[in-house]
Amino acid sequence: MPTLTPRTSRTTAPAFLKGSAFLTGTAVLALSLSACGSTAVSGSAAAPAGDAAPVSNGAAQIVVSVEKVNGEEQCVPDFSSAPAGPVTFTVSNKDASGVSEVELLSDKRILGERENVIPGLKAVSFTVTLTGGEYRLYCPGATTEYKSFTVSGAAAEASGSGVATLLKEGTDGYAKYVSGQVDSLVLAVAALQQAVDSGDVPASQRAYAEARPFFERIEPVAESFPDLDPALDLRVADVEPGTEWTGFHPLEKDLFETKAITEKSKALAAGIVKNVGILKTRTAELEKDAAYQPEELANGASGLLEEVQSSKITGEEEAYSKLDLVDFAANIEGSQQAFEYLKPALADIDGTLTEQISTQFESVTTALADYKDPAALGGFKPYTDELKKTDAAKLTALIQSLQAPLAKIAEKVATV
Amino acid sequence: MSTTPASQPGVSRRKFFSRSAAVAGAGGLALGAAGGAALAAAAAPPALSDVERAAQREHLSYPFYGEHQSGIETPPQDHLVFTAFDVSATTATELQLVLAKWSAAMAELMAGNPVGKVEPAREHGIPVDTGEATDMGSQGLTLTLGFGPSLFDSRFGLEKFKPVDFADLPAMAGESLNPAFTGGDLCIQACSNDPQVAYHAVRNLARMARTSVTTKWTVLGFGRASAGANQSTPRNLMGFKDGTRNITTPEELTEQVWVGTEAGQPWMVGGSYLVARKIHMLVETWDEDTIGDQQSIFGRTKKEGAPLSGEKEHDVPNFHAMTADSPIIPADSHIALVAHENNGGTKILRRGYNFTDGLDSVGRLDAGLMFLCFQKNPEQFVALQRKLGTSDRLNEYIRHVGSAVFAVPGGLPAAGSYYGKEFFD
Repeated sequence: MPTLTPRTSRTTAPAFLKGSAFLTGTAVLALSLSACGSTAVSGSAAAPAGDAAPVSNGAAQIVVSVEKVNGEEQCVPDFSSAPAGPVTFTVSNKDASGVSEVELLSDKRILGERENVIPGLKAVSFTVTLTGGEYRLYCPGATTEYKSFTVSGAAAEASGSGVATLLKEGTDGYAKYVSGQVDSLVLAVAALQQAVDSGDVPASQRAYAEARPFFERIEPVAESFPDLDPALDLRVADVEPGTEWTGFHPLEKDLFETKAITEKSKALAAGIVKNVGILKTRTAELEKDAAYQPEELANGASGLLEEVQSSKITGEEEAYSKLDLVDFAANIEGSQQAFEYLKPALADIDGTLTEQISTQFESVTTALADYKDPAALGGFKPYTDELKKTDAAKLTALIQSLQAPLAKIAEKVATV
Repeated sequence: MSTTPASQPGVSRRKFFSRSAAVAGAGGLALGAAGGAALAAAAAPPALSDVERAAQREHLSYPFYGEHQSGIETPPQDHLVFTAFDVSATTATELQLVLAKWSAAMAELMAGNPVGKVEPAREHGIPVDTGEATDMGSQGLTLTLGFGPSLFDSRFGLEKFKPVDFADLPAMAGESLNPAFTGGDLCIQACSNDPQVAYHAVRNLARMARTSVTTKWTVLGFGRASAGANQSTPRNLMGFKDGTRNITTPEELTEQVWVGTEAGQPWMVGGSYLVARKIHMLVETWDEDTIGDQQSIFGRTKKEGAPLSGEKEHDVPNFHAMTADSPIIPADSHIALVAHENNGGTKILRRGYNFTDGLDSVGRLDAGLMFLCFQKNPEQFVALQRKLGTSDRLNEYIRHVGSAVFAVPGGLPAAGSYYGKEFFD
């Protein structure tokens, strides 16, 4: 991005050419920018910005100090270049309360980062393997937010290719997972239709409870088709006056409230089978085209938790069957699956956050276990008004604690 | 004194605009030409407007660092958001992170800054700051942090950091406490001249700690019900002036409010104890009481706020003045019961706010006083409340429904320190 660098170069650190004679002119300009920046730096962190960082423990070592420099909050790396290979950034915050994270970017992609770089806490570090080229340190909130960082040595075709490969494997894996869920959904709704057609209410209720989780686990994918989701999963409150209410929920009403199967119920069941068939065709195409993007998985994982908060904990999703906790568990499972497919790449980008999310998923899963009831329809206690009254606030806090860190991952794995 | 406001409007404004310019400059670096235009715009002389005239109040900013936390001796601002939290995290490291994050964020918020990007650079970024206080200024915001007795149980290994004799308040007469408004491991008292600025602060502090801390109870105070130095005395929802004889001088603060070495904890030196009581007023029945009864219950006149023994608000009450065979100020009146003359010199720094939550479950106004007070030892409050709980004629019209006590650490010396740092060294 050449507009980032000043056109005039007042080079103050000729030494930076040492060991990197093949650097491009742009790189020289970029380096001189950071060198100029650091002339204002007083004290310890001011460094010979042109020298490549020393290598120890198999990695080039960069120390980044977040601190106040002449009253301005700055990120101050001790070196602004390193040889190609593993590079460890050790980051601490001396006294800059407005800056709390440091990222290494290649163009806009995050290659590695640490959050919670807070004044008074111990230094933290992250290691990335870099090939020759231009990078930037990004310190949101600092007076100078972006600082150039140059890596000299063999230029590879794609920087951070390890992470890119992991992300590709993740999206491919998730595509297969979605297709698998849809395959199961096809079978489950066929069984539902059969039960409804036979007029057996208890059998239809069981089939309904068995089908729902397959849909709820992949709800963000279904929702990405603007015609299919309303046809399958609209709640009565969301039906436009004058339009027909179709899908799971009017059938739920027949099976669990009026407990009577009519011709209309049978038509609803047939409609579900038809639309799930369309869903299968479309998700198969997504898999074939490798169309899933990492950020979509991430947003889907977070979106499922939004679903949990906005319609399951409130008891609106399964108002007649009280199967909200079944859907709740399925949303969590779907969210965790999407996360698991991103996890290998995410662990490279932000290991601490990855660990935190894993821990929060465990807490939620443990808490949900208390609501299991093998004798109940769908395997979970019915979400009655009484249960909602006593437990809703607790469940909300639980999900919010998971969503807060999970919502952050889209940005970290984004390919755009 | 730590809470001397940086209210020189010129200074604040200059600081504000220099920061704007700095932000625009950073944007310029990221965005190239567009950012450069923004930089030029920010550097242009500001137009004089209503905004300019409001700047002094808008940019009233109290220093975050100092000997004492702000929000104690600070002249009470117009609005309050008081929130108590429980720590849901199970490790000391998580608690440490919360306290470090909060301390840094409080410094930013009190300076009128967001806690992070309102509008992140990347499309998939989640806004770090929720944004509703953007460009509103600091509005005299103070953020005061307290630790509840329960924080020092065995969960985080903090037993040895517990101040001497620090415990939940004892049960007292006249209480009907609701567990939903009682206790808490941590509290934040946010006060500001704009309610949205205070709300934004607490909302964002709660949000950044969501994986480790849950909000237990919260009260929004809409009008100050106590006076600080050089402030006129405001009124509570019963229509009476409240806080006429409040603590205002540095000598009284040292004597009655600031903790020294007696708590046995270096982190409490320069700190204080905060008692929070959510007091529901039976507003409708009070409104139908006679003026004579109302005045004898308080011991003061309603309009002037004068003690019944005097004529002006600040006349010193004479508890010995008699009419026929009884004191002019009834011995069981509110001011007689709590006056320092009748309590061995004990005073507390009151810093309460009026609140309303709409209607209660039986259709009455749900309103009252969020009573907040600071003292060197919670025993000061307990001694006074014991008398009030058994004798105060006001009890017919009030119910204490919420209660908590917090140890408020001393102020932080400088950037790089954080509340509770000693716990984790």
